[in-house]
Amino acid sequence: MNQQTPVFTTPDEQVAWMGTDPIPAKAYYDPAWFERERQAIFMRTWIEIGHECELPEPGSWIRRELEFANASILIVRGKDGRLRAFHNVCTHRGTQLVEEESGKGANFLCPYHMWNFGDDGRLIAAPDFQRFAPLKKEDCGLSKIAIDSCAGLIFINLDPQPAQGLRDYLGRYAEGLETLPVAKATTFHEYTYEIEANWKITYDNFQENYHLRFVHGLTGAATVHADNPHGYPSAYDFNGPHRTQTIWSNPEPQIQPMQGYNFALAARFGMEKGIIGGPNDRTYFAIFPSLFIIGTPIQHFSHTVYPISATRSRGVFRIYWVGDDQNASERYVREYGMCALRDIHTEDVNIITRAQRGLNSGALKHIHFMTMEGLCRHLYQQVVERIDAFEAQAAAAGEPA
Amino acid sequence: MTSMLPAGFERLEFFVDRWAVAGTANRDRRRSESTEDERVAFFEAAKGLVPKALELLDARPLDALDEREQRLLDLMLSFAHVTMAVEMLGKAEERHARFRAAMRITRSPADA
Repeated sequence: MNQQTPVFTTPDEQVAWMGTDPIPAKAYYDPAWFERERQAIFMRTWIEIGHECELPEPGSWIRRELEFANASILIVRGKDGRLRAFHNVCTHRGTQLVEEESGKGANFLCPYHMWNFGDDGRLIAAPDFQRFAPLKKEDCGLSKIAIDSCAGLIFINLDPQPAQGLRDYLGRYAEGLETLPVAKATTFHEYTYEIEANWKITYDNFQENYHLRFVHGLTGAATVHADNPHGYPSAYDFNGPHRTQTIWSNPEPQIQPMQGYNFALAARFGMEKGIIGGPNDRTYFAIFPSLFIIGTPIQHFSHTVYPISATRSRGVFRIYWVGDDQNASERYVREYGMCALRDIHTEDVNIITRAQRGLNSGALKHIHFMTMEGLCRHLYQQVVERIDAFEAQAAAAGEPA
Repeated sequence: MTSMLPAGFERLEFFVDRWAVAGTANRDRRRSESTEDERVAFFEAAKGLVPKALELLDARPLDALDEREQRLLDLMLSFAHVTMAVEMLGKAEERHARFRAAMRITRSPADA
């Protein structure tokens, strides 16, 4: 390499404002604490749940299960092109309407007593309905859930009256997300996992690079350098409950021969599609509570962690692509890209479960975050802030939190 | 013996049975079930042929590949998996495979 190695400066001062206090370990395993998070955050915050490319035409629908809400959710693109979300629950006696993961059709027919709902959630017909009098069909529409999208990513909010719209919630990051390839994505790889670990323990692993050289010594060799031996980010940014890190550009990455060939091929396709060179190519967005999306255009993945219980979570990784595989080379290089990312993420999942098992013992009263784990500290502080605000509001209203 | 692959790829005929696998999750499974010797033999035989294979396959739309070409493409897609094992992980692959099984592949454009 002819380039002069830049001097890397660790951006410690950008996280100093959060302090250095130890973090209570209980927040990462205690069921009572998790219940407070569930109520204060997950049941009333915008949660990423899919992508618009899964609903390409009117009548397309997908079903999503959210364990933290014990809910099955239908997301539907109506004849008018609008996205709507409903509980997958017949309003007659609660039967789940569909079991398939996705489909296409203008109606949802309950298999129990043939109540028939339109793609806008209205009850269209029900056998012998006059015997429900004085009940009216217009009062029997499917139970609606707030839904919106940004950069193609679909979010729902289980609060019947969300405190903020999605755009306000994302703040200035909404525009950033829209510069990413995901906004143009038409297809994706997906791999998922269930893990015996708290959602924050799981999520935190993906917002600190301290572990890179130790956990990903082989698969992540290209991310470290003598000048930045831990592969720390070059910058951090904070925006309300959300945060980003700027991925450091390694001037002399250790690249294996086929790895280099494959990345060059992927870069060629990226250039052809015009998705390389955007303003957020090195930005790793962490959208509260538990969505990540990385701007790197040829390894453009999202990762959402869905809590199941205090010590169990489900993760969904997606690698978003613009356009179908146009030829064998593109199919090949996308397959390689998926393998490369999944191999790294596999190593993460293994180490996270070990961290959780240690915490479950209660042996630690506190855990510690250093400056380059500042994003983990930010997540914890935002969680506390939201729980406190929700519980104060409930107390003021005279309700049990 | 009838050729299973397009002309010019005779060197890879031996690997068709084991590595010309349809489906991304199936290719991953095959990687995980293979021995190091199998992976290294395939990797060494195929690595120099990747540019030539992709050039040949790129001449046609994906849905117009004949059986031999489709086998060659499936070999190349398995090669992508095997590259991670041989080039990046080496001896660590066996341990890695145990954990990888928990990361379920649920969608792939190659399977569409």
